[in-house]
Amino acid sequence: MANYKLTELMVVRCAKEIADGEVVYVGVGLPLVVAAFSFATSAPNMIMFTEGGAIRATAPLALAITIDDPAAFVGGDATFGMLATMASLQRGEVDVAFIGGAQIDKFGNINSTGVGDWSKKESFTYFAGSGGANDMATCGKRTLAIIPQDRTKFVEKVDYLTTPGYLGGPGERQKNGMIGGPECVVSTMGVYKFDINTKEMYLAEYFPGQSVEKIKAACSWDLKVSPNVIETAPPTEEELKILRGIDPSGFYLG
Amino acid sequence: MDIDKRMTLKEAVAKFIHDGDTVYYGGFQIMVPMALTYEMIRQKKRHLTTLQASTDVGGLDLLVGAGCVNEMHTAWTMNWYVKAVYCMRRAFQNGHLKRYDISNFGATTAMIAGFMGVPFMPIRGNTGCDMMTNNKADLRIIDDPFTGEKTTVVRAWRADVAIIHAQKVDRLGNVIAWGTRGVTDEFGANGAKRGVIVTAEEIVEPEMTRSDPDRTIVPYFKTLAVVHCPYGAHPSACRGYYGLDIRFAQYLGKYQRHADLLPAFLDEWVFGCEDHAAYIEKYKSKFGQEGLDRLKPVLGFKPKFEVDYGYHDPAVWKGVPLYMDDRLQAAEEALAKKKGGK
Repeated sequence: MANYKLTELMVVRCAKEIADGEVVYVGVGLPLVVAAFSFATSAPNMIMFTEGGAIRATAPLALAITIDDPAAFVGGDATFGMLATMASLQRGEVDVAFIGGAQIDKFGNINSTGVGDWSKKESFTYFAGSGGANDMATCGKRTLAIIPQDRTKFVEKVDYLTTPGYLGGPGERQKNGMIGGPECVVSTMGVYKFDINTKEMYLAEYFPGQSVEKIKAACSWDLKVSPNVIETAPPTEEELKILRGIDPSGFYLG
Repeated sequence: MDIDKRMTLKEAVAKFIHDGDTVYYGGFQIMVPMALTYEMIRQKKRHLTTLQASTDVGGLDLLVGAGCVNEMHTAWTMNWYVKAVYCMRRAFQNGHLKRYDISNFGATTAMIAGFMGVPFMPIRGNTGCDMMTNNKADLRIIDDPFTGEKTTVVRAWRADVAIIHAQKVDRLGNVIAWGTRGVTDEFGANGAKRGVIVTAEEIVEPEMTRSDPDRTIVPYFKTLAVVHCPYGAHPSACRGYYGLDIRFAQYLGKYQRHADLLPAFLDEWVFGCEDHAAYIEKYKSKFGQEGLDRLKPVLGFKPKFEVDYGYHDPAVWKGVPLYMDDRLQAAEEALAKKKGGK
């Protein structure tokens, strides 16, 4: 079996969630790597949107370090700016909202603002803030998220609800005028899907080297597990070769 | 009209940025107005409120760390290259900074409303989340007057003054920028009440800017000050001139992390440098010319067709008779007869 890094497994697994030809609004971080990898493998006809304002039908010329990276714009199809990509998002034209985050709860609500109690300022540790994550996950037809996992990051209720998942449960997105919702979460330990009725996140796959028990222990609510839970397939040599060519300096993959 | 608005960085900041101002902080994750950031710190500007969407090299965080900012309206503020926002985090915790969170498009829409001179604007997003709960200053829910449905609206953002960095500007203040920058400068800068301070890589003649006005993002009448400032966005990137200096952003980030060391960074790189040219010289003496050379972008990506802004002179129509044919002639005559008969 091939030797691979955890980040490489995560990228390759995420790419399987993107169907060829879809419009994918790509957030900062590993999603940028997934987009480049998808173009090169399973989704050559994908359309990539960024918050910086690039709309492109081809992979960036080099790895984009930020969502406003010139490499994401050179040779793009349209580079009008955030107004154009966000307006398209608001018109309901984006298939996949692909974001990262720092904390997630069982209904797929995501926190990228900070941890602690915001109203007690001295207790609150700020991260970056929403960026475009809230916009993307509000208006995308479905949300795909990458979140690192431990008990402080997979929580019953997020410290700060930056980006809507299913909010308080079934029907709440509709009540707030939203379509879509989270469909898949890839963590550092496994892959999660959402129950169609309860809207609760459940474990669908565990990564090689992990187990259901270890993953449940790294989750602060009583995580439901699919009766059909499987081990995630490791990346192939061919996939790794392509992926390592995308991030040669290891900026994202390590 | 030929008002020469060229001045030094020091003059521009002293003259046009006042304590207590609301400042549009330009750029996105590129084209960050770093020379202006350093100069505002040098001049110890205080009690500023900042408006922006997203900013990544830690310039805004440094402005907070130096005690210049009391209030921040933002979607995303980071030094992405150390994956944290240390100064801002401390300032919030110790009560020195009020922070108003909103999404990227919430911020952009707020600037578009300010740009348009309307009080607020509807938006999708920022609904059902804690930003709506915690930022009533910028976000509200109203009834759509047409459908009665609940609609999120953002308050218009209008800064007192805007600071931006661009590739070229003329002495009058026509600002030329290309390559996407999130495209909030257009709205945030033009929406500023008093106007815009611009630093640019090059100062060019007005006949140059006027030869390509599609690329002018701020017209001269909005510009207060024009500052020639090579590397004015460093360590952020300037499209076509230099790339992002990841290593310097990381170096800055380490100082931002260590609160006790931050004054040493400010002494060496800000107060210890008379202006931005001195800062770049300092950079070369510390990290070598090769540090700057590493930032050289891959060039050669020019449009593959020529653009000609040709126009047509309506003087050619002088003396040309109206086009007519028999059918139309008959209809016209019948109409004239009918009118005459009344």
